[in-house]
Amino acid sequence: MYVIITYDISEKKVSVVNKLLKKYLTWTQNSVFEGNLSVGVLKKCLMEVSRIIDKEKDSIYIFSVEREQNIKKEIIGIEKNYDDIIL
Amino acid sequence: MKHNYYIFKSGRLKRKDNTVFLETIDEERKYLPIESIDSLHLFGEIDLNTKLLNYLNSYGIIINFYNYYGYYSGSYYPRKQQVSGYLLVNQVQHYLNKEERLFLAKQFIISGVFHMVRNLRHYENTKEYIETINRELSDIDEVPVIPALMGIEGRIRNVYYSAFNSILKHGFLLNKREKRPPNDPVNVLISFGNSILYSTVLGEIYKTQLDPTVSYLHEPSTRRFSLSLDLSEIFKPLIIDSLIFYTINNKILNLEDFDSKEEICLLSEEGKKKFIKEYEKKLSTTVKHRKLKRSVSYRSFIKLECYKLIKHLIDDELYKPLKAWW
Repeated sequence: MYVIITYDISEKKVSVVNKLLKKYLTWTQNSVFEGNLSVGVLKKCLMEVSRIIDKEKDSIYIFSVEREQNIKKEIIGIEKNYDDIIL
Repeated sequence: MKHNYYIFKSGRLKRKDNTVFLETIDEERKYLPIESIDSLHLFGEIDLNTKLLNYLNSYGIIINFYNYYGYYSGSYYPRKQQVSGYLLVNQVQHYLNKEERLFLAKQFIISGVFHMVRNLRHYENTKEYIETINRELSDIDEVPVIPALMGIEGRIRNVYYSAFNSILKHGFLLNKREKRPPNDPVNVLISFGNSILYSTVLGEIYKTQLDPTVSYLHEPSTRRFSLSLDLSEIFKPLIIDSLIFYTINNKILNLEDFDSKEEICLLSEEGKKKFIKEYEKKLSTTVKHRKLKRSVSYRSFIKLECYKLIKHLIDDELYKPLKAWW
């Protein structure tokens, strides 16, 4: 499943959430993560996130598409690939 | 959706922020999400420490190392978690019993040859070769010992390789299969392709309880994981050879991607990258499985083959090797 996660989080917790998401997805923009995850792993990730954040103040948006081909992505400026497997 | 990561750059790989962090000598920094790593393939000059190894250990991630020329030189394996003494005993028993061993060895060859013929059928002017191969194959039932079986396999392979010349376009030719060292582009591709396939098969075997050192067609010996050579027989023509035809005939790889120096031919870094990209694409291609009634990728077919072998070894179901039906 293709997933985009964006967040808006109070200063204290930003780096914690950032570190956690880095385990699962590729950090493509300041507060945006992208990548391919299976349904189970995504659930695990979201559970860990929801344990950390303050639900009164912070917010996390999760966009997911079952088939990656169904999403149209356009880029202006620098592109950061999330699926680079040859480095 | 786990990936294999291929690292050609040189630099340092370390644990940072509970994930894998790559810092290259030209100061490029990149995080590799640990949850998405299936295995790491290191082609460049990479430093790493035990902290990273311990961390990869807990996720069961394998690291494969390749030498300067792109040949597989070894792997770092996490502690094996899937172990079964019962299966090991059975695996060895099938090796010791001459008939059981011969049966399995034959299955690997039958499947391998099936896929060779399947490759040839796609192209014109290969009828003669197919007939010769089928004639050789018909002797296989009466073969009494492994060396004779290897003889048949060798003869079939010679015919098969000589058919390459009528398939390959754009000035690529295969005169004779030469391994040490490969001396022309096609030989290089076969060697390079087979070596990445071995490590893929080994990685899949490692996810099951099978012991990679006990094999049937190849003689189990020290320093080699010979079961992955056995299973590769099935997948070499299916995956690597068809990929070689595809990359060459569609001009994905050109003669400029190879460097020849004093009778040794090498695939350039750019060439390796192109080939690996196509290889990964191929591995993740899916086919609808008739029995499982769902889509299965080429990579999963390798694992399914391991499971079928296990079932055979514990007397659950007779081993029927993969014969691509699509």
